[in-house]
Amino acid sequence: MKSPDKTALSAHVLDEIKELPAKYPQPRSAVMPALDLAQEELGHLTPAAMSEVAAALQLDPGYVEGVATFYSLFHLEPVGKHRFYVCTNLSCALRGANEIVDHVKKAIGVGRSDQVSADGLFSFEEVECLGACEFAPMMRLDHRYHYDLTSEAIDTLIAERRGVLHTRGEVAAKAAKAPEGPVKKPRAPRKKKADA
Amino acid sequence: MPDLRGSHGDQPDHILTRWFGTPDLHRLDVYSGKPGGYAALRKALLDMAPAEITNEVKASGLRGRGGAGFATGTKWSFINRDAPGPKYVVVNADESEPGTSKDRYLLENSPHMLVEGILIAAYAVGANQAWVYIRGEYDEPHRMLHEAIEEARAKGYVGPKPFGKDYPLDIRLYRGHGAYICGEETALLESLEGKRAQPRSRPPFPAVKGAWGRPTLLNNVETLSTVPWIINNGGAAYAKLGTEKSPGTRLMSVSGNVLKPGVYEVELGQTFRHVIMELAGGPPEGRKVKVFWPGGSSAPVLPESMLDTHTDMEALAAAKSMGGSGGVIVMDDQHCIVRAAHRLLRFYAHESCGKCTPCRIGGDWAVRTYERILANEGSQVELDTLQRVSDGLQNGRCLCGLGDSAGWVIDSTLRHFREEYVDHALRHECKVEAPQEAASA
Repeated sequence: MKSPDKTALSAHVLDEIKELPAKYPQPRSAVMPALDLAQEELGHLTPAAMSEVAAALQLDPGYVEGVATFYSLFHLEPVGKHRFYVCTNLSCALRGANEIVDHVKKAIGVGRSDQVSADGLFSFEEVECLGACEFAPMMRLDHRYHYDLTSEAIDTLIAERRGVLHTRGEVAAKAAKAPEGPVKKPRAPRKKKADA
Repeated sequence: MPDLRGSHGDQPDHILTRWFGTPDLHRLDVYSGKPGGYAALRKALLDMAPAEITNEVKASGLRGRGGAGFATGTKWSFINRDAPGPKYVVVNADESEPGTSKDRYLLENSPHMLVEGILIAAYAVGANQAWVYIRGEYDEPHRMLHEAIEEARAKGYVGPKPFGKDYPLDIRLYRGHGAYICGEETALLESLEGKRAQPRSRPPFPAVKGAWGRPTLLNNVETLSTVPWIINNGGAAYAKLGTEKSPGTRLMSVSGNVLKPGVYEVELGQTFRHVIMELAGGPPEGRKVKVFWPGGSSAPVLPESMLDTHTDMEALAAAKSMGGSGGVIVMDDQHCIVRAAHRLLRFYAHESCGKCTPCRIGGDWAVRTYERILANEGSQVELDTLQRVSDGLQNGRCLCGLGDSAGWVIDSTLRHFREEYVDHALRHECKVEAPQEAASA
């Protein structure tokens, strides 16, 4: 992560963005991959970053902002270093997603969706169906799906990221206590969860 | 590959999932080692004329598994193979219909089956390049598909001369960025072109003017994954499965209040009782199925009394619902239908692209009405409003089906559970769930 006052994109990212249009039958298709690169560097899309993307792609800044505001995976406000995206659509709601949401909010200290924790480490967003309904309740944490969520599993994930659990042994011991531990090794057999 | 919750193993009614569960099936050497693995592509390129391939798919009776259920072979034949200039195959891997996880199941278990299907389709319709539009949240499926394509490239299956045939084939990936509307094919094309994903008016249809203004075949992941089997075994063999008008098998992702949620391959024509009560284990002990969504949240609900409805598209149409995306959401008798409908309307209101007025306004209007009802501020006015908004959303008043889907949620839950709505709106009570604060946004 760059320091918070850093808004402009670095030269190598802009160079990368300028190479994108050639990869598509028409250059405009590069706008979302370019915004991805900008968001990857800054955490969220600032107006300055969107303008720089527009300039690099020879598009109107308003056009680029129009695209960025349409899609929910583009963040226009600051987000945490780690981002909880908890599904609350019907399949997950029927299996306890609302309790998971309450627990996440309390655990990281935010009051509502799209808020960032005071230490900047976590943010939380309520999202629509993530397409893993047989593992409900589930969520995406950064770039990974986590299945069969329980309060204990959430606590472990948060503690790991806070650095409270320092060693692998501590993590394993905690996970052993919580039978529905986080999905670390997706292949490992898991007990079927009784309905929430 | 995560653990398998759903169909796997070689059984007569397993066409897509027969090798699922084989270790490392996602790797090309393992997939190729299975009977038929990449044999269909070889056969299509070396032994069949493009029109023969399309005819075989037509003979199979395969219908699109994305939601609309259009005849796949007929769709292929709409592309004029001899038209000069580039043509494209675009694969809809933007799975986001609530309650649907079957394309993820396919991508994570057998990406090469999809790659093979894409390449066959491209050759059949005269395209040299295919684009897979995959939803942005699918990091793992994206990684696995990317690796599969690179393996196929290393083997030459993707490249200038697949199996020695002078017909270049290429597959590219494009990631979505979180917009349900992109499941609608023309919205997906807009997005692929780097625009806000708002549906186009048709005609022209994508077969004439699709991606980047060129003739384009759009198919769903499951549809194309079925093609290698059809080429290997013949369209007639596929047509023997299922019903006359809905042949074959389809994946149904069963979720919600069942003991064994999972993605099950079902021969069309089986009943929902079989799918929900047997394959998915039925509801938890002491509870009963109250209602189910037979084809994703957009498919009108069916009450428990209709569990014997058959899974083929004609039977579902007769029951005033649809097969949709194959996502079966089961809700038991401990849950309130008004709250469930409210949650889904929040979804449709959030995902409306804003292009057509009934959908842009109607979704939010319905959500506000549900909020008043759930806050015990309802009256006959709210009930009438819901019905009116529902009617306004339906019947082709919008460019795409999102508005209709929102209307169907209201309409079908009102139709089958009017008494529960009346309890909430007029008597200000819920006989099903303990009172709680209206769901937060």
